[in-house]
Amino acid sequence: MIFSTLEHILTHISFSIVSIVITTHLITFLVDEIIKLYDSSEKGIIMTFFCITGLLVTRWIYSGHFPLSNLYESLIFLSWSFSLIHIVPYFKKNQNFLSTIIGPSAIFTQGFATSGLLTEIHESTILVPALQSEWLIMHVSMMILGYAALLCGSLLSVALLVIAVRKNRKFFFTSNHLLNLNGSFFFGEIEYMNERSNVLQNTSFFSPKNYYRSQFIQQLDYWSYRVISLGFIFLTIGILSGAVWANEAWGSYWSWDPKETWAFITWIVFSIYLHTRTNIKWKGTNSAIVASIGFLIIWICYFGVNLLGIGLHSYGSFTLTSN
Amino acid sequence: MTLDGAPALSQAAEEGGSAGDRSVPVKPPPPPPSKRSGLGLLKGLPRRVLSVLSNLPLAITEMFAVAALMALGTIIDQGEAPDYYFQKYPEDNPVFGFFTWRWVLTLGFDRMFSSPVFLGTLALLGASLIACTYTTQIPVVKVAKRWSFLHSEAIRRQEYSDTLPRASLQDLGIILVGAGYEVFLKGPSLYAFKGLAGRFAPIGVHLALLLVMAGGTLSATGSFKGSVTVPQGLNFVIGDVLGPSGFLSTPSESFNTEVHVNRFYMDYYDSGEVSQFYSDLSLFDLNGKEVMRETISVNHPLRYGGITIYQTDWSLSALQVMKDDEGPYNLAMAPLKINGDKKLYGTFLPVGDANSPDVKGISMLARDLQSIVLYDQEGKFAGVRRPNSKLPIDIDGFKIVVIDAIGSTGLDIKTDPGVPIVYAGFGALMLTTCISFLSHSQIWALQDGTTLVIGGKTNRAKGEFPEEMNRLLDQVPEIVESSSSTQSDSFSG
Repeated sequence: MIFSTLEHILTHISFSIVSIVITTHLITFLVDEIIKLYDSSEKGIIMTFFCITGLLVTRWIYSGHFPLSNLYESLIFLSWSFSLIHIVPYFKKNQNFLSTIIGPSAIFTQGFATSGLLTEIHESTILVPALQSEWLIMHVSMMILGYAALLCGSLLSVALLVIAVRKNRKFFFTSNHLLNLNGSFFFGEIEYMNERSNVLQNTSFFSPKNYYRSQFIQQLDYWSYRVISLGFIFLTIGILSGAVWANEAWGSYWSWDPKETWAFITWIVFSIYLHTRTNIKWKGTNSAIVASIGFLIIWICYFGVNLLGIGLHSYGSFTLTSN
Repeated sequence: MTLDGAPALSQAAEEGGSAGDRSVPVKPPPPPPSKRSGLGLLKGLPRRVLSVLSNLPLAITEMFAVAALMALGTIIDQGEAPDYYFQKYPEDNPVFGFFTWRWVLTLGFDRMFSSPVFLGTLALLGASLIACTYTTQIPVVKVAKRWSFLHSEAIRRQEYSDTLPRASLQDLGIILVGAGYEVFLKGPSLYAFKGLAGRFAPIGVHLALLLVMAGGTLSATGSFKGSVTVPQGLNFVIGDVLGPSGFLSTPSESFNTEVHVNRFYMDYYDSGEVSQFYSDLSLFDLNGKEVMRETISVNHPLRYGGITIYQTDWSLSALQVMKDDEGPYNLAMAPLKINGDKKLYGTFLPVGDANSPDVKGISMLARDLQSIVLYDQEGKFAGVRRPNSKLPIDIDGFKIVVIDAIGSTGLDIKTDPGVPIVYAGFGALMLTTCISFLSHSQIWALQDGTTLVIGGKTNRAKGEFPEEMNRLLDQVPEIVESSSSTQSDSFSG
């Protein structure tokens, strides 16, 4: 009884904190840059991280198994992964606009999980025999971490596309303006010149606003690349550990189960992304398009397949009941 | 060590041939024009095929095609009878205006993952992988190992460059070593690099993928599989239940082993749900000697002689009952409703004349081996009994004792020669994918009098590199002229 109330409290605390964080971010971006608010929102996400960790640990102790056995628990784990991804660059003292992406993502995930749509799977349940294995921890946690990182990275790419498209609509000049920036530390200038060969680029008119916008785009591009690379590693390990587990449990390391197949499709789409980045002409906007497609594919893989409720991964299935 | 020409050459080749910054695939030399016709065309064929296959846009298209086919394979229901597709994709009302059952059946989309279209695309992707690894990535090994010192113009032209007016090369070298770089000093020049493995790792990724594909092909063509439901107490011979999967399947000596199910039982949670299934198996060889005895459960299979036996299913085989102290009667149980792990079995003990058309009797239903629910001749609920309690129940004047519920274990048996290869490929893939996250950073420096010119670049971590460089250079001590001693002030750039 204690555990379930504790769970309840922690869920609601984390939900409220993330809502506050999002509000402060909106204020910072739309109204005015208040550094103190920014700092407090950073600390807010750290507190959310600890709350969700507490939530997961409580569930673990209460049910006796690692809290990853159904869709609800995997959603909580997903919001935990989001807050984890936020914290890592924070401790490396990097400038962090990941939190603008992570905050709303975490809140949507958390909100959906705790909403009335999924009440029937809130309770901790027992593990069916097929899930009683050590591989459960490794496989599912790697997959969820991979999803979280890939979602962040592809959202950053979506943001990049939005800004790039808006920029090109505003500055529709055809003059070929060469930039002459000497002795610069930042790699962005060189990329700015390369940008002209990009598909969506229409050669822009040089102005300070445009320059900073390009810098921002380069930053987004770089961060999206690094986060997606990290997510790709997690996804690879997750898929492969799932295959080994399947071989131990069901005798076949790959049985073209819908969830497996869609995870493989996600893997292929992001490896297409990584390959488009090797070509200098395709870097930037084109790879961002691929990453945005990847965003949709991840949701199909994670949710869409579960809605069907068939196949070996039916533990995650649910029916949307309106309560 | 090298002259001015060398840096440009190694760098240009690096730009052209490295896995990280490929802009144009390395073009093989064209065949000499004197041998153009006939034999010459044939001789140039492998080279041209290689160059076509290692084209990056083609590879991306292939990957995209594989993904699209797989997606289609999940949308179209697999493995159904042709009639199903006639109904679902009728000709007079085609999906999207053109997609009828003809598309599905001729292209093999009903068995997508073994259809020629899909396997052909996969084979093409494999060929591209091989070609790409050979033409583009293996040269990277040679090129990336080549490095050279640069002169000051080239250094200043790097992506990141800086100048320290009063610093010494040796101090920089020490700091770089402390930061994990491998440093080479010659005279006034310095070259340092870090993370070279990150440049080679993509080759490893491609090779691991090829290994997985090879192992998967072996699995598909050389394995045996089969499944069997064995009531407790009975035997089966392994070779009888296995069927080959492809043309490379060859049976082995252990196929003659006989498996005896000593006992099948289940563990339950307090709530009554099943927590685990267990089968106690004994293996006997041709001479009847017991070679192995093990209890298997879900996630813990039995391995013997290359054969693996998995616990995958279960059912209720029979109920042993005594009626009025007569018997015991073995009543076979029939499945009434199967919903994954939730099953319902029933059986019927006739009362009176068993051959009359409207025979009545006592019905017994069971969901698992734990408890049996009994109903009287009118179909009314009579009671629940646990098989091991041996408590009698009185139904319509008959004394019924449920002695035992006999379960059957559902076993899947497999032999797969490709598994070790596939596992090796998996391990290599995981490792090399992790390593390719590393960024290959290179730093050059030149001591020009008291000035130190530094330049550097990296292939992946482009955003963090300037900050890292700034942090390192901040640590280089400034050489101050007075009192001829080096002060370890932090350099204010």
